Amino acid sequence: MSSMLQPQIILLKEGTDTSQGKPQLVSNINACMAVADVVRTTLGPRGMDKLIHDEKGNTTISNDGATIMKLLDIVHPAAKILVDIAKSQDSEVGDGTTTVVLFAGEFLKEAKPFIEDGVHPQNLIRSYRTASQLAIEKIKELAVSIAGKSLEEKKSLLGKCAATTLSSKLIGGEKEFFASMVVDAVIAIGTDDRLNMIGIKKVPGGNMRDSFLVNGVAFKKTFSYAGFEQQPKKFLNPKILLLNIELELKSEKENAEIRLSDPLQYQSIVDAEWNIIYDKLDKCVKCGAKVVLSRLAIGDLATQYFADRDIFCAGRVTEEDLQRVAAATGGTVQTSVNNVIDEVLGSCELFEERQVGNERFNIFSGCPSGQTATIVLRGGADQFIEEAERSLHDAIMIVRRALKNSTVVAGGGAIDMEISRYLRQHARTIAGKSQLFINSYAKALEVIPRQLCDNAGFDATDVLNKLRQKHALPSGEGAPYGVDINTGGISDSFANFVWEPAVVKINAINAATEAACLVLSVDETVKNPKSESAQGEAAASAMGGRGRGGAGFRGRGRGMRRR
Amino acid sequence: MALAFDEFGRPFIILKEQEQMTRLRGLDAQKANISAGKAVARILRTSLGPKGMDKMLQSPDGDITITNDGATILEQMDVDNQIAKLMVELSRSQDYEIGDGTTGVVVMAGALLEQAEKLLERGIHPIRIAEGYEMASRIAFEHLENVANKYEFDATNIEPLVQTCMTTLSSKIVNRCKRSLAEIAVKAVLAVADLERKDVNLDLIKVEGKVGGKLEDTELIYGIVVDKDMSHPQMPKQIEDAKIAILTCPFEPPKPKTKHKVDIDTVEKFQTLRQQEQKYFDDMVQQCKDVGATLVICQWGFDDEANHLLMHRNLPAVRWVGGVELELIAIATGGRIVPRFQELTPEKLGKAGLVREKAFGTTKDRMIYIEHCANSKAVTIFIRGGNKMILEETKRSVHDALCVARNLIRNNSIVYGGGSAEISCSIAVEAAADKYPGVEQYAIRAFADALDAIPMALAENSGLQPIETLSAVKSQQIKENNHYCGIDCNDMGTNDMREQDVFETLIGKQQQIMLATQVVKMILKIDDVISSSDY
Repeated sequence: MSSMLQPQIILLKEGTDTSQGKPQLVSNINACMAVADVVRTTLGPRGMDKLIHDEKGNTTISNDGATIMKLLDIVHPAAKILVDIAKSQDSEVGDGTTTVVLFAGEFLKEAKPFIEDGVHPQNLIRSYRTASQLAIEKIKELAVSIAGKSLEEKKSLLGKCAATTLSSKLIGGEKEFFASMVVDAVIAIGTDDRLNMIGIKKVPGGNMRDSFLVNGVAFKKTFSYAGFEQQPKKFLNPKILLLNIELELKSEKENAEIRLSDPLQYQSIVDAEWNIIYDKLDKCVKCGAKVVLSRLAIGDLATQYFADRDIFCAGRVTEEDLQRVAAATGGTVQTSVNNVIDEVLGSCELFEERQVGNERFNIFSGCPSGQTATIVLRGGADQFIEEAERSLHDAIMIVRRALKNSTVVAGGGAIDMEISRYLRQHARTIAGKSQLFINSYAKALEVIPRQLCDNAGFDATDVLNKLRQKHALPSGEGAPYGVDINTGGISDSFANFVWEPAVVKINAINAATEAACLVLSVDETVKNPKSESAQGEAAASAMGGRGRGGAGFRGRGRGMRRR
Repeated sequence: MALAFDEFGRPFIILKEQEQMTRLRGLDAQKANISAGKAVARILRTSLGPKGMDKMLQSPDGDITITNDGATILEQMDVDNQIAKLMVELSRSQDYEIGDGTTGVVVMAGALLEQAEKLLERGIHPIRIAEGYEMASRIAFEHLENVANKYEFDATNIEPLVQTCMTTLSSKIVNRCKRSLAEIAVKAVLAVADLERKDVNLDLIKVEGKVGGKLEDTELIYGIVVDKDMSHPQMPKQIEDAKIAILTCPFEPPKPKTKHKVDIDTVEKFQTLRQQEQKYFDDMVQQCKDVGATLVICQWGFDDEANHLLMHRNLPAVRWVGGVELELIAIATGGRIVPRFQELTPEKLGKAGLVREKAFGTTKDRMIYIEHCANSKAVTIFIRGGNKMILEETKRSVHDALCVARNLIRNNSIVYGGGSAEISCSIAVEAAADKYPGVEQYAIRAFADALDAIPMALAENSGLQPIETLSAVKSQQIKENNHYCGIDCNDMGTNDMREQDVFETLIGKQQQIMLATQVVKMILKIDDVISSSDY
């Protein structure tokens, strides 16, 4: 009785939303599962795309898990974790973003009944961690190394990996075409960690087969002044001068003022300015360069000056492109035209201005150092090219990954089935609650083949049972069997070249387990009240709610819309 | 949109402003998308072919466009639906790449979507349909290559090019004088083409128009027409064997770019300054005279004083000529653009056989013709027409014709028009369909049906019985094994397109099929549309 009379201790600011305990945990899990459901259908070669509008009216059509999650603008705190793991998978390995979200969602789904039954979440977490470790070790054990093969062999192997990634994308119909393009591009830039050396240029129009790879640099014709068309547009083995200065008639010093007392000196001042620019131009010509590129403007005077001397010039080249040209041609970007020596000039076999679709492109090909590559993408619509670019990005990342840690595993759900089998087997050796948890973890891994079947419209139960039977064969010969997307049966994924780099799976399992554990370990959410205005609105609605019941709720809805 | 509910049935707030989002998923989303795509195709369907109708479009500020060019119609329609926008872009892509066939590609995509809808209703997985379409498009692509003919031409024998351009123009409002327009387009393209590299820079062809006169007065000028007049009304109106100084500097005393100030404290100083300025003008004109220029074309304006001086010294001049035109003049006359008077040399002057100012009709509009140029690597097509709308439409039509000619120079393969290529592909695809096991077979067959949509629309627009005509032509193709039978739109009495001389470029047709398939695939792959409800 006395305890009831004690004054209530106010710990948090008014309006703070707190919820705690088991229901909170369950509701977090529900939210995560709902998010995982959104990307579920994008998995695999028969996965579908999502069309998302944002408030600004931009449209994105995508199949890439990370892109979709990013665009969904999720505010639920627990569900946000899934967005983060998708992003981290994207930046870490570049592909498998849908997989990682699905795994996390599935782990949580399996955990839900246990939580409801009153299992302590920490027990679950511990078992999940063990299971994930076991799984990763098993993947490493099953992975096949492709290191030490000859270049040709490697190329075809890497092509297989890229093709597997691309098969689920919009450009899947031309996966061989793009896969070999991607492999060539990645091999061209070498092992350095310079992803920006692969340029992807998008030109609407044409069909995707018109896309091409330039072994060098290509960029859209820059803005040009009168006189540009009189410059030659094709050179063999030109010398290339790269600049970062303006070649324009301009005041040399800002804020300077010239005072003349003698009008006769007027001409000399004018001449002095002209001489400065002519001097610069002359030096450009003297150094023997046939192509002059600058990050800053090249004015009309300079354009005509170069045209007169059969030199090609382009001003306002973007920083990235200029860097790429520098890397490709072996030149160095100069900030002055004084002392331009031969070493800083780049060179390439062929420079050409060419029509691509509606645009004219400057193309540098046959570059000596060959450390850059540019993919010119063509396609029927802007969204199409955007999506193609995202897909190629995934493929490029995969190939780079595979090139570095050169181990691959069988795709098509084969590796997931095999780990699942292994974990089930392992679970039987454990006494205690853990056995159940690891078993459910194993079951969760089966989501990949199941979803592959669902998306393709196959009978998932049927296919899964076939797979389980194959994988359970004591000889272990069934290990590489996965879903055969073409016939609706099962087949040896490894022999059919459905491969993915082991690191994708390892990272996915790791990240998904971490995320699941994180969600499971939360038993209370404290949500701070929003900023002033939002709080006022919330308070008003709360008051209205108290006063008028349902009517207040409607009022709130209207208020939201106005915002 | 509600994604999830807790055990009491209350929705979670997972997304920002979740209540305002709408979501359409599964078959509903696909059906909604397909119907949007079909709606766009339906609008364009009646514009297809030589008997196609035009559309009149009014922009928000009251400008009226009348056209039957697919890309232009869609561009001006300002569609809002996302899928419809995809169709617009599809048409634009065709325009960018090929320049012609922008209507056909949309009609084709619409037909493919229509067929897909039927298959979806039967429960076929959308991606299987898309894959089947892709296979079929490849069959059609190869088949087109087989039925295509190489068309030989060279700079002297331009007849084949003219014939193909005529096919393009025949569907336009200007078909009255398609022959002359086609010839103009082909000659223009050949003038600027680099036959060796198979490259044509269409920027070098200037298309200029002036309201008034008849369409027949349209002409090709091996040189440049500038919508300007001589700077002084008393300057000569005609100059033969002109030597042209092309300047990008004004006839003004030079100014340093740096901020400057001239202190004048005595009367003498002021007078020197004035004299100096006068001397500048004098020098400038003298410099032009010295190098032998008989005409000055200037990017900038000049003082009245300079104008008077030029007149006085008998040196005709044109002022305020835009940068692009200046460049074209330089290319056409083989001159160099000179940025400074000191740099003038006789070699830098452009040469033109005749420069004249021409007045039109009763209006005071004058234009300057620079003709008979030394090196006519830049040409002008000068269009006349009764009103602005006709003029604009003619410009678009000529653009299409130019693109067709360019494509032929790039790749001289042609296929026969009048729907014959589509019918022939349809037969080939239909025949190939049976060889494919699996669900794709249905999709391939549907593709063949969709291919029929173009000849069908052609027949319909020409007032023929679509089904009867199509089936008659189709059976004729099979019976005679003749790939060149098409729809006789102009009622010439023969179905053989070889006799009617109706051609289209091979790459244009291939592009149509590939692009339409691609976009349809993209639309079919979408099963979830999430949008803010404002849209």
